[in-house]
Amino acid sequence: MSALFGNLTHFGAMMFFALVVSITFAFLSKRTLLERMKYTLWAFLAFILVAVGIGWLMYPFSQ
Amino acid sequence: MKPQAVKGNQLLGIAAAVAGWIVPGLGHLLLRRWSKAAVYFLCVGGLACAGLAMRGGVFGAGAEDLFDRLGFVADLGSGIFYFLAHQIETAGPDIAHATGDYGTRLFAAAGMLNLLTVLEAYDIGRGGDPR
Repeated sequence: MSALFGNLTHFGAMMFFALVVSITFAFLSKRTLLERMKYTLWAFLAFILVAVGIGWLMYPFSQ
Repeated sequence: MKPQAVKGNQLLGIAAAVAGWIVPGLGHLLLRRWSKAAVYFLCVGGLACAGLAMRGGVFGAGAEDLFDRLGFVADLGSGIFYFLAHQIETAGPDIAHATGDYGTRLFAAAGMLNLLTVLEAYDIGRGGDPR
């Protein structure tokens, strides 16, 4: 288990979280495969963009 | 593949919800939602195992702080992964480092995701929207 996930970087962990949650939300809310694929991609990109955006917003306070 | 219809009732909904809580995806498996069952098991299980492998903490039942109690409820949502947490990651938690803290959040997120799938299993089981 540790060999598989133990070496995840923080960014890698965030990407993994975003992907898994996006897939689950897609299966919860959409019916067809195409709809689910579109929703997964859209939600995944939104997760990453928002996380990186919030990271940059917080950057001045870390100085 | 279109899922075969299962005639729903309240009892089936509750049984599917309990099964889905204990083992993520099992409720959907009982309701013949094969793809959903597999995806939910892999996603919830993957997230929980990642959280444990990152040496995240697992909240116990005896928490005194409100946030710890909420964390306990979230963690408990992952069902069997909560009860087997110490067997899955024998090294134990290490929340002194940021990675362990992230692991704690991933494990709680797995529990919350599973609670959402449990609600859906209950809805399908009682004859709700067969999405």
